[in-house]
Amino acid sequence: MARAVTRRLAPYAVAIGGALGITAAIALVTSLASVQGLSAVYLLLVLWLGAQWGRGPAVAGSIAAFLLYDYFFVPPVGTFAVSGPAQLVELVVLLAVALVTSQLAASLRRTHASAEALAAESRALYELATAALRSPDVTVALSMLCRRAIEVQGVSRFALVAVDLGQATALAGGELSPDELKQASWSHENGRPVGIAIRDGVVEVMRTPAGATTPAYLPLANGVAVVEIDAERAKPDDLRMLAALTGLADLLLDRRRAALETERARGLEASDRLKAAILSSLSHELKSPIALLRAGLTALAAPQAGLQPDQRELLVDLDRQATRLDRMVGDMLALSRLEAGVQLEKEVHRFADLVGSATRLLRPELAAHDLAVKLPDDLVPVEVDEMQVGRVLTNLLENALEWASPKGVIEVGAAARGGMLEAWVENEGPPIAPVDLDRVFDTFWTRRARGSGLGLAICKRVVEAHGGTIKVENRRRGPRFTFTLPLARVPAQK
Amino acid sequence: MQRALRAGLTYHEFDVHAVGSGEEAIREAAAWRPDVILLDLGLPGMDGFATLKALRPATRAAVIVVSVMPGEKDKVRALDAGADDYLVKPFGTEELVARIRAVLRRQADVTAGEPVIRSGDLEIDLGRRSVTVKGKPVRLTPTEYELLRYLALHAGKPVMHTTLLREVWGAYAIGDKYNTRYVVAQIRKKLGDDPANPRYIVNEPGVGYRLEG
Repeated sequence: MARAVTRRLAPYAVAIGGALGITAAIALVTSLASVQGLSAVYLLLVLWLGAQWGRGPAVAGSIAAFLLYDYFFVPPVGTFAVSGPAQLVELVVLLAVALVTSQLAASLRRTHASAEALAAESRALYELATAALRSPDVTVALSMLCRRAIEVQGVSRFALVAVDLGQATALAGGELSPDELKQASWSHENGRPVGIAIRDGVVEVMRTPAGATTPAYLPLANGVAVVEIDAERAKPDDLRMLAALTGLADLLLDRRRAALETERARGLEASDRLKAAILSSLSHELKSPIALLRAGLTALAAPQAGLQPDQRELLVDLDRQATRLDRMVGDMLALSRLEAGVQLEKEVHRFADLVGSATRLLRPELAAHDLAVKLPDDLVPVEVDEMQVGRVLTNLLENALEWASPKGVIEVGAAARGGMLEAWVENEGPPIAPVDLDRVFDTFWTRRARGSGLGLAICKRVVEAHGGTIKVENRRRGPRFTFTLPLARVPAQK
Repeated sequence: MQRALRAGLTYHEFDVHAVGSGEEAIREAAAWRPDVILLDLGLPGMDGFATLKALRPATRAAVIVVSVMPGEKDKVRALDAGADDYLVKPFGTEELVARIRAVLRRQADVTAGEPVIRSGDLEIDLGRRSVTVKGKPVRLTPTEYELLRYLALHAGKPVMHTTLLREVWGAYAIGDKYNTRYVVAQIRKKLGDDPANPRYIVNEPGVGYRLEG
């Protein structure tokens, strides 16, 4: 106690002692030579006092200097009286300048001190941030951060909780009780802080009853900070530091989340590549023998091969079966590709072009039927994957060919409706049994013994991948399949 | 496969010479001077695309690429590497023979320097820059004519979108395939061709267009 008082009074003693010393020095100098304006020397003392200890000692020094100068140097010397206005002015100026100087020096000292505190704070943060970013494991960095946080005055606990897919886990800063985890997860889900908030870069603590140690919860973008803090002990600087640390924790949790997502994406990509590779090799393995069969069968079916007509007919039949097999393998591969999540290569197309490609592919089969194409001239283009939609049209046309009555009309049409293109394929022929209307798009469901049961399932998947819908209904003439496709966002030029 | 194809083609009175690898094909192409080369991209040893690239300077023969790869990117890649046409396995002999005849016909036209190209009722006179359908003149804009002319010069052969863009619009237009689709639609309209059932200019899905030879 006594020492503390001594420490507090020492600057004043130095102020008065300093003023006395300077008075002695001025007296010595003036006794040797006539020098004017030496009162300014006091200002040096005042300035130094202000910078060293602040305003109090500086003001004390100013008053001491004023009195001593008046007593010893202002005529009449040896009294506190003043003889004339000139002397009075000199004294008042000395006092005023001394006071202003003390004020300036003291504020300089304050600024300096807070600048130093800020510098120390940002240095600490900088060191923590670099160390955290350098360590490859984010959890190590988070632990460092938590350790630094409890060094902040008033903070007795600082823990970080990650919330992944609704699951809260303690990441750093110690374990949490199940209740605390539940509370943290609630706080994160609702984005509601409990007992604590950050406003304008400073942590604000809601007062708790003295002595109570309830943790406060602060939700971050990808986690929650759980803090126990004594608001009485923490100073504004501490609260600012805590807010900065929390910000850094937020960044690190983001980084952790990003790393997790990259890892997950990499895994998915690898499995996609694997699937694509398997499908491609499967396609090769299955198609090569079919290719050989077809080449051989069609070669021998040529009249020049010299086989009997009935033998050649058999070969043509066999080739037809090989072709069917090829188509079924193709359907199966197409379906598994679609299920593996194929990337659509969407481009702007005229629907008529897509119909043209499909009808060309089936020209020999379509020749026996009456194909009616109903497309308005000013149809807005669609934005679709040409190959995939081509498959839809081909499959629907093949289905229509299969079910059309002999020489029956097959109609393909489209119109823009409700922001989508609505297209249909209809054939003259027997209706689909009402119970089957819901099942035609199911995988492996087929009306005929020789179908693969995949064609319409593929149609449904492709249309839905484009954000469209497909349905079937019995019309007066026969069944009609209707599907929708997205129109191109940019209308055709000109 | 080779044996089956050789038999099939021999029945159609082609002279067939079969080799087992890319290296051998390049050697034989220079020595034997075939008119058409059938190249399977799934070759043992030397990669099919590499063989294709090496064949181009070695021979003037038309190259038809045969492959089980169903992807359009592979077709485009093959055409880019200098193939004249492609055929996806499995295929029948008739289909193959039709393709071979088409490239042979085109070769003959090119050698003869024939200035008039026909596709059904469509006639393109390159010398007089005139286009007629069933003898009736068709008026095309310069862009439309250029596109049709390029397809005509390569009649029967698939021409890629990117090639058309480069040849008709110049290097800066590359990337906007809708340009070619729009102009082809205009040409078809003027030729009286039905886009949903085209006779002259047909789509090569994922690749480009082909003028029927």
